[in-house]
Amino acid sequence: MKNIFKYIYVLMAVLLLASCDGFLDVNTDPNNPTSVSPNLILPVAQKYTANVIQCTDGGGRRMNHVGNLMMYNWSQTDGFSWYTDESKYLVTSSFYQYIFENSYSNSLKQYNLLTELDPMYDYYKAIGQIMKAYHFQLLVDFYGDVPYSEALLRGGNPAPKYDDAQGIYNDLIVQLTAAISTINNAPANVVTVGNDDIMFDGDMMEWKKFANTVKLRILTRQMSMAGRDAYIQAEFDAIVAEGSGFITSDVGVNPGYLEADEGKQNPLWNMMGTDASGTVTMNNNATCATDYILTYLQGTNDPRLNFIYEEPEDGHKGVPQGLLVYPDDYTFEYVSNIGPGILKSGAMDAIIYTLAESYLNQAEAAARSFISGSAKSLYEAGVQASFDYLGAGSASSYYGQAIPNVGWGIGDDIETIITQKWIAVNGITAEQSWFDYNRTGYPAGLPISLQASTPDRPVRLAYPSSEISANGGNVPSQPDVFSTKVFWGN
Amino acid sequence: MKKLTIFLAFLLFVGFQAAAQMQITGTVTGAEDGLSIPGVSVVVKGNATIGTTTDIDGKYSLTVPSSAEVLEFSFVGMKKTEVAINGQSVIDVQMEADVLEMEQVVVTAFGIKREKREVAYQTERVTGEELLQASPDRAATALAGKVAGLQINVQDNGVNPNSQILLRGMRSISKGNEALIVIDGSVASTGAFDDLNPNDIESINILKGANAAVLYGANGSNGAVIVTTKSGKGTDKFTVGINSSYSITQVAYMPDFQSEYGTGWEGEYNPVENTNWGPRFDGQLRQVGPTFPAGYGLATQMVPYAPVENNLLDFFETGSNLTNTIYMQGGSDDSQFYASFGDQRAEGIVPNDEYRRNTIRINASKKIGKVEMAVKMNYLTDKTDVVGRTIGDQDRPLYWFVLNTSANIPLSTYSNWDDPLDYGYADNYYNAYYQNPYWAIGTNRNIDYSNRLTGNFSISYDITENINFIARASANNTWGNGKNWRARQTYNSDLQSSHSTVSSFVEDTQYKTENYRGTALLNGNFDLFEDFKLKAIIGGTATSYKYYFNYIRANNLSIPGFYDISNGTGTPETFVNEAQKRTFGYYGDFTFSYKNYVFLNLTGRYDWTSTLGTDDRSYFYPGVNLSFVATDAFEVLKTGDILTFAKLTVGNSTVYNDLGIYELNESYSQSAGFPYSDINGFFLATTAVDENITKEKLNTTEVGVNLGFLQGRASLDFAWFKTVTTDLITETTSSTASGANRYLTNIGELESNGLELTLSGTVIKTKDFEWELSANYFSNETVVNDIYEGLNEIAIYTTGQFGVYAVKGEAYPQLKANDYARDPQGRIIIDPVSGHPTTKDGLQSLGKTTPDYVVGLTSSFKYKGVILSGTMDYRTGHVYYEEGSDAMEFTGRSVASVSANRQDFVIPNSVIETSPGVYVENTNIPVSGGNQSYWTDIYNEVKSNYVKDATALKVRELSLSYELPKSIIGKTPLKKVVIGLVATNPWTWLPEENRFADPEFKTQTARNGAAVAANAVGIGGYMESPPVKTYGFKLNIEF
Repeated sequence: MKNIFKYIYVLMAVLLLASCDGFLDVNTDPNNPTSVSPNLILPVAQKYTANVIQCTDGGGRRMNHVGNLMMYNWSQTDGFSWYTDESKYLVTSSFYQYIFENSYSNSLKQYNLLTELDPMYDYYKAIGQIMKAYHFQLLVDFYGDVPYSEALLRGGNPAPKYDDAQGIYNDLIVQLTAAISTINNAPANVVTVGNDDIMFDGDMMEWKKFANTVKLRILTRQMSMAGRDAYIQAEFDAIVAEGSGFITSDVGVNPGYLEADEGKQNPLWNMMGTDASGTVTMNNNATCATDYILTYLQGTNDPRLNFIYEEPEDGHKGVPQGLLVYPDDYTFEYVSNIGPGILKSGAMDAIIYTLAESYLNQAEAAARSFISGSAKSLYEAGVQASFDYLGAGSASSYYGQAIPNVGWGIGDDIETIITQKWIAVNGITAEQSWFDYNRTGYPAGLPISLQASTPDRPVRLAYPSSEISANGGNVPSQPDVFSTKVFWGN
Repeated sequence: MKKLTIFLAFLLFVGFQAAAQMQITGTVTGAEDGLSIPGVSVVVKGNATIGTTTDIDGKYSLTVPSSAEVLEFSFVGMKKTEVAINGQSVIDVQMEADVLEMEQVVVTAFGIKREKREVAYQTERVTGEELLQASPDRAATALAGKVAGLQINVQDNGVNPNSQILLRGMRSISKGNEALIVIDGSVASTGAFDDLNPNDIESINILKGANAAVLYGANGSNGAVIVTTKSGKGTDKFTVGINSSYSITQVAYMPDFQSEYGTGWEGEYNPVENTNWGPRFDGQLRQVGPTFPAGYGLATQMVPYAPVENNLLDFFETGSNLTNTIYMQGGSDDSQFYASFGDQRAEGIVPNDEYRRNTIRINASKKIGKVEMAVKMNYLTDKTDVVGRTIGDQDRPLYWFVLNTSANIPLSTYSNWDDPLDYGYADNYYNAYYQNPYWAIGTNRNIDYSNRLTGNFSISYDITENINFIARASANNTWGNGKNWRARQTYNSDLQSSHSTVSSFVEDTQYKTENYRGTALLNGNFDLFEDFKLKAIIGGTATSYKYYFNYIRANNLSIPGFYDISNGTGTPETFVNEAQKRTFGYYGDFTFSYKNYVFLNLTGRYDWTSTLGTDDRSYFYPGVNLSFVATDAFEVLKTGDILTFAKLTVGNSTVYNDLGIYELNESYSQSAGFPYSDINGFFLATTAVDENITKEKLNTTEVGVNLGFLQGRASLDFAWFKTVTTDLITETTSSTASGANRYLTNIGELESNGLELTLSGTVIKTKDFEWELSANYFSNETVVNDIYEGLNEIAIYTTGQFGVYAVKGEAYPQLKANDYARDPQGRIIIDPVSGHPTTKDGLQSLGKTTPDYVVGLTSSFKYKGVILSGTMDYRTGHVYYEEGSDAMEFTGRSVASVSANRQDFVIPNSVIETSPGVYVENTNIPVSGGNQSYWTDIYNEVKSNYVKDATALKVRELSLSYELPKSIIGKTPLKKVVIGLVATNPWTWLPEENRFADPEFKTQTARNGAAVAANAVGIGGYMESPPVKTYGFKLNIEF
């Protein structure tokens, strides 16, 4: 029995030994690292950029969708209750709230990590700065005042204050200038960026061009404002002086999308195209052209018609937005769904800035004399770029027509540029045409949804409910979404 | 350690006494369970100065003068027993329970038995017999309604249901609120409790609140359910027995639906609609489903345009449940064993849902001299084969398809889903949008196999007469695997133009958990000096937990009907999840008593945990409790035979909750879709973590009164408690603009106050007839006192339109939803243009989701061998979100949708705001879209319409049993034969406004596929099959 005592002491000793700290050092997560290198952060950020512009892999509607629906490009096929809130212009705190939420918590969060890196990662840092500017502009365009100076501090400030929209815009230009300077002044041991940059493959010259093209968008947006001309002129002069110029091809994201792999398809294709087995998605069936856009494209002899919208066997047919009772033969086989110029393949780039828009923005800058060069040739280059993206061939006979808003000089230049941009970004980055509409009122005569209870479409989004509950002390009171324009629209 | 031993030995000698001529020894055991009873007073009759108490093994040794004739044994809860000495030197006594006072013996922490008088907190005991009254297949369900403060929420009604065990409400926002489960002295889990064969349970002691369970450490903060399995003690002969039951399961009630309008859209008849927005039923024969071409072999289907009674109910089958347990037991003074084999075969109300399980238990112990060793092992293996939960191209659960069948469709006639010439076939099915649920059952399966092995090995050694050492090692390990698959379905687009192809997939999962726990305890009873005694426990526990899970999914299978990962195309989705946690702690529990009527209990525990930061991972928590048996202190209180026992208790204790595994550090995870070829990507966690995060503190104060009347024939137990939780470890919702969706930090303060009252007794007792009644009452409210500067609420779960929140200054958990804007008189303010109601900005608090109070009632009538017993409970004062009816509003089957006969109507009691603050009654502006769109787009968007009164009165169990008298079985080899009829949930009453589903149900997976937090109680039953009731019979035979 004395042995028992021995065992007891041994057991007690074991328990005491257990108190050595080593026993408790098991709090390292074997499945999730606590730090990763920038080349693993960047492609995720860029992929999320594509997702918030286009749509998520699971089919969550984002900027392009709301643009197409607000701008009367898309409508709903018979048999679907798909775009109910959009048809009613029911812009509430839960309407496209993920544009706000995902911009910050997916893309900007990752880009911000890059901006906090050591100088040896200056290229990554500059990319982070440029993409932050790109996203913050979009946030301002949708919401006006948004968190900026106190944003992205995570636990450091769970409820950041809202900054003045105009002030954010001004600072974005400053940040873009700084980003170009960061690239130019990177230390000798700078880590070069490789194919983990799924936009420009690490080509820093392209990043400088893109920085200028983001500036171009920021400046163009302010061109209808009174009293901004001197500022805009100075900033354009700075862009010209910097000398890198603007983008020369469509800017897209592509980590290596695969059509035959459900989880790796281009997000727009995944939502609106087919699944990996080639089956057309419900979203494709549910979504079709409006009657107005088809008539418009047909009336201007636009060869892009069959690329933007798929022609059904019995010819093109569109649906007025907000239609409640459909006549016979408006199911998906009969209506014009999204076309092959938009849905090219499951492996296509996810576009975040079109070359056409860049040219058309430059055309507006030239037409308003902020930059030198021919507004006409920039305009025609923009239309050609749109034809090129869609695969519609040469645009010259199209823009050679003496039709207002098609041929240069037939009508108002600005109206012509904006109307063409509406067609050029249709189905691709259509949110841009919504912003243009709110700024200029073009394209003129655009119908509103049959279910609208207001005389015109909304001019902005409402702050999301997540902000009201989690940041109630800072979020501004909900603006009137039909009348409170973002500062550049006034 | 050595010093301690010496100290304890010293204490021992202080208490040592000696005298006289004759020594008598013996053991005192309980007649009912054969367990030894420590602390029994043994005195010489007529000379109370000569006496002793039994030790922790129920043994005593007493030297008596030769003149002594009779020994008197007394113990609270037992009948006083007198034994003539007659010169015997060994007198073993079996004491019989004083009716209803048997529960005065409490199994406390670590399985140590204590007299209820010295226990300064509230406990309740449920015997195996009470538990098994209605032959439950899960012990948890059988506890419902039987214990004050114990709330069992049966959260679904599948063949292998989930239940949640709450003791005294909720006191933490993010950490668990479920009671700790302890089986045979070792901390186990709710899963292990569910995996027990209820027939193996000897008794369950409920230790309510943290004061009772402080010795278990962090896990004990929610109280504990102490389960003791059968040991075989008290059975001097071998006994072989069989417990069998067979029951049928039926749908208890379906949602209330309208049956005036059928298939259609916007008031027009449509033969292929899932919705009921068609014209009013007219009884005419009309086409449903697609138009078949000539020569198709099947005529276009025509059915009367009239409601089919029970068309959805008839889809569900009568389920069944057959359980058999064979058990063997035997024991003598020094060795016992109990073994059982259980078999359960259940078929659900959903066709083809099946569950099968087997359990094996072996409990054995042997005592040689001062050493007792015991082994308790349980093994479970089961198989669950149910319909998948991601059906069709929209990944919907089965009930969705049932509910999307319009009122004029005879659903049960579509069961031949695989016959191309039947209306049930995919291409022929009437519904253009949602598939035939019978097809779903055949083409979507979810099959899980799980195993659990629990083992508990203990050594007990009596170091001295008064000091005992116990070492216990236990394991609670589970492992299993599952397969979930969906078949591909394509459609003939001429017949089904709206259906998309349903893609195929197969998922394989595998999991393993390992829980090991080692405990060592020293346990001593000491007489300090005259009238002062000490019972002391010191010990330590070390635990280790490991978890492993892996998942592989392959999509778009090449070979139909072949469900293997190799059959997928594209890259399979995979992930592995592992976790590990270790803790250890030391503790002491010292109970000082004076004259056996004042007891001061001091406890302390020092814990270390692996989940907190290295300089913050140890902490101490104390408890102090006082118990005072007034009836022993002041004889005058004993008012004759009426008040025979009165105890007052008061106590305070502190417990901490630690952080979850790996929550301390922000980490990255591979981003969805990655890697793309050679490009990999990692994403920073969506939760930001406070770098100073620390433990969560719970402090509980409790006051109790226990009264016994009429020598224990009736009793009244009352307790008031208050728990203050501070530094709550909580994931607050942060602004997404911070770059994080949530922020894990310590916040504010939660205060929970509650009352418990249990009144029980034998109302009538004659020679042959006995009526026992027990009623319990529990009320509790938890209020959020504080969150932190600038933050007024925390979402536990939210969709943005409704959710469960912790709101500063309000009861927790609080249901919030968007709600109508109303004028000061409560009338709905409408928009003067559309006639539609307006809503207030943001979400409104609409009520708490745990009951204001719960009343439980258990009663039994015994007449000779016949026992009729039943349990019911009533819960009220809370609300829940009827998520199912919200999701179904668009189908037009809600009763609300016909309240205005599908016409445009003026909202009753509505007003127009003519100028700010001026409201004029609306008498003439109707809503538009009364035939459909008002309901689907306006009414459905006001989520307060689905916040319902969760009040429920439920008869949980009814049983009628008959034990064959000895006169019949006396000549057979049978020792015992009991036959009975049983019913569970035979009757439920719900308020008028809530006629959709059981308010106890909780949504586990939200509509968007996200998991719904365990604490989001009140988000009710999205797409759970309807509630069920069971009827059956039971048989118990012993040889």
